[in-house]
Amino acid sequence: MIKHHPKIELIQAFVDGDLPASLSAGIAMHAEMCSQCQQKIVQLTEHAAEVSFEEAFLDKFIVDDTSTIMSDSDSDDIDFEAMAELISQSNDIDIPEPALDKSIVFNDKTYKLPKALNNMPMSKISNIGKLSRARLQLDENEIHTSLLQIEAGGGVPEHTHKGFELTLLLDGSFHDESGEYVKGDFIMLDGSHQHHPVSKEGCLCYTVANDALHFTQGINKLLNPIGSFIY
Amino acid sequence: MQTSLLSKVTNDKPSHMSDNINHPQLCEWLNAVANSRDKKAFTQLFKFFGPKIHGIARGKFPNEAQASEVVQETMSNVWRKSHLFDKDKGAATTWVYTVMRNVTFDMLRKIKGNKEDNLSDDIWPIAESMVSDDESFDDHLENKQLLTVIEKLPEAQQEVVKGFYFMEMSQEQLAEHLKLPLGTIKSRLRLALAKLKVQLGEDND
Repeated sequence: MIKHHPKIELIQAFVDGDLPASLSAGIAMHAEMCSQCQQKIVQLTEHAAEVSFEEAFLDKFIVDDTSTIMSDSDSDDIDFEAMAELISQSNDIDIPEPALDKSIVFNDKTYKLPKALNNMPMSKISNIGKLSRARLQLDENEIHTSLLQIEAGGGVPEHTHKGFELTLLLDGSFHDESGEYVKGDFIMLDGSHQHHPVSKEGCLCYTVANDALHFTQGINKLLNPIGSFIY
Repeated sequence: MQTSLLSKVTNDKPSHMSDNINHPQLCEWLNAVANSRDKKAFTQLFKFFGPKIHGIARGKFPNEAQASEVVQETMSNVWRKSHLFDKDKGAATTWVYTVMRNVTFDMLRKIKGNKEDNLSDDIWPIAESMVSDDESFDDHLENKQLLTVIEKLPEAQQEVVKGFYFMEMSQEQLAEHLKLPLGTIKSRLRLALAKLKVQLGEDND
């Protein structure tokens, strides 16, 4: 059973469209596997829509904020009726393409690609030991997003993060000092956490991190250069 | 160290339907656009949503031209995708909000990173947003039957689909039988198929 979920603040930011694509996709994929969070998203979206489109919303702005008085007069300049007329001259309707079932292969194992990743460009897969990684090229500066496969018996040496690290388990399971994680778990860690994930049966993770891993123990400190390989 | 997006404070009020919005009216207009390409209904929707979308976009974009583009793009999508709205799954406001949020997200990504990848519809699918009933998480097998899906279509579209597929009438025969212009039959069939495709795709996940 899924035990780890995004915090409500994160879900709210997702609904508002304020998160980067990497984290938005992470939450969308989690919600596909988690009806509980899906419900929260539905409720928060309903609420956000209410707040956005209430008459009172605009009125409040006009009274309170001088800069939006400007924007209101801007919007007076716009001929909404003419815009409506122009748009409705076209008879076209959008027929959405049926969702493609794409898949990705890591070391001869095929995984179904979650819909949210369907159109994200992906780098070739690179390997170190039992770890394989494909980078998702989202161009979000310091934020790096990847699909990471850990083969059965493999793990990531004990490390900490300078920024945040999201791990969404898409398939299989792994465990670390805090317990066992299963498919669908949404694990958000920050610099105060240290961990050493190991996967007995192997797993596929979606990872988002805004800084390289930092290995903390003994000989593994020598591995720090590969920290940036993994995330 | 936490990043700002992790520690962002929000108002977590319970969701409620506001008395300030005439939901049944908006829903009716949106359905009129979907089912009969009703321009008057669309103008009404535009008058309601246009200024509000503009106000919201002004808060997110640095300049006026971009805010207008959000209005233009959102309302174009409303016109072209209205057949994907399903009143049983949520309010018209929620659906338009989803369309607006997606347009805004893709535009901001384009401005910030010069990326034209339009990822929003993969992240927040327009056709299957706002599933508020539990049944969608249950077994899908039952829903797979085509007929159940067809019965969810507006009556006018059902009539055409059933005639065409189950009674194997031609479009011309249907026009004569239903005393409607051929063009109407064609557009109803097209709308119905678009809707079916979405519904079936959804159920085949």
